Amino acid sequence: MAKWRVMTVDDSAAILTIIATYLEGSEFEVVASERDGVMAVERFAQERPDIVLLDLIMPGQSGVETLERILAIDPDAFVVIVSSLGTEDAVHECLTTGARSFLQKPFTKGDFIDFMRDLTQVA
Amino acid sequence: MGSMFFGQYLLSKGAIDREALIDAIERQRRTNLSLVELAVRDGCIEPRVGQSILTRYRTTETGLEELCIEYGKISEEKLDELREIQRSDWVRIGAALVAGGHLSRDEVEEHLAVFQEAQREANQQLEADFRACRDAETVKTVVELAVFHLKRFTNGPVKLQTLAEDGGELADGRRRYAQMLTGDRDLHVVLDLPSQVASVVAEGFIGIPVEGDSEVAIDAVCECVNIIGGHACTRLEASGFRLRPHPPFSTTGDEPSGDSKSSIRASVMAGDHPLDVRVFV
Repeated sequence: MAKWRVMTVDDSAAILTIIATYLEGSEFEVVASERDGVMAVERFAQERPDIVLLDLIMPGQSGVETLERILAIDPDAFVVIVSSLGTEDAVHECLTTGARSFLQKPFTKGDFIDFMRDLTQVA
Repeated sequence: MGSMFFGQYLLSKGAIDREALIDAIERQRRTNLSLVELAVRDGCIEPRVGQSILTRYRTTETGLEELCIEYGKISEEKLDELREIQRSDWVRIGAALVAGGHLSRDEVEEHLAVFQEAQREANQQLEADFRACRDAETVKTVVELAVFHLKRFTNGPVKLQTLAEDGGELADGRRRYAQMLTGDRDLHVVLDLPSQVASVVAEGFIGIPVEGDSEVAIDAVCECVNIIGGHACTRLEASGFRLRPHPPFSTTGDEPSGDSKSSIRASVMAGDHPLDVRVFV
């Protein structure tokens, strides 16, 4: 069975490493990782991943701006926000902009994999 | 006297020397096992599951006992039994010092009575200091969250000692990890950490050993500050404050000191390493 192709976007290399480690050996494959929103939009256009895991608070182009630009390329893109911020305002803004789900950091490997598997039920 | 551990108090009073304290702590480490370690020793859970529970404990807000039940499949009855073993085997620092011949039982009791009274006063002082802070609710929320997450990431004792306003300069031998929050308030959440603590925090966060001054460790500790800041925004939203975090940063300089904000400095002990949690408001 083909793996789910995942793109991760976070300015923190630690978070990118943690996510890649958590997904090793699973049914998910990280096909692209970016630490910058502008680069992430370019990579999205090239890779067209099944799922994008997108940080909200990044220097330069924010997560919400990046989300908008990805959706401008593909309105059906499946983008999930992964952020330490869990305010109602932030969640509401992301979901109304077009994010499909929201995961608050920090998370354990088990919780993360469960979350990803739940996503595949609707992706 | 600020809030502190008993061993640290005895050391500061000259009642014991550093070698005696190290010996007592090592005695404690040999005998004082966590519920997870006891469960592994007892054969109730596999070491691999125990490790997984400890990782969850470090990275979520769930209690250790709850995790033992949920992931270790330990029954409430077994947990009671393990708690009883833990209680009966547990050696306090005073008893460890007596066992090592560093203090007599009477000396420990005498010092403990003075220490406990001083701690009561120190805790009352801390509460009063929190209340006296500019923007007390914000400061208390950030400091409590920082202590909470530092405990999780270091998987060790972390104690808030004193709270005071100061100039906000970074002390020698430390690195500053900071995040600005803006909106209904304008503040900075800051951790000033020595390299040893940074490496422990980073290792607890990403799960692999790293040097405290390495790029990986700096990035990981910045992400920890991001988690403290993000959770502070979430918690303060319930009090009616709308705040938004900015990307975290690290520096060996004093910023944001000197830009007209007050710096509230919370002196904290992580194990036997001092560090500062700061809130610039």
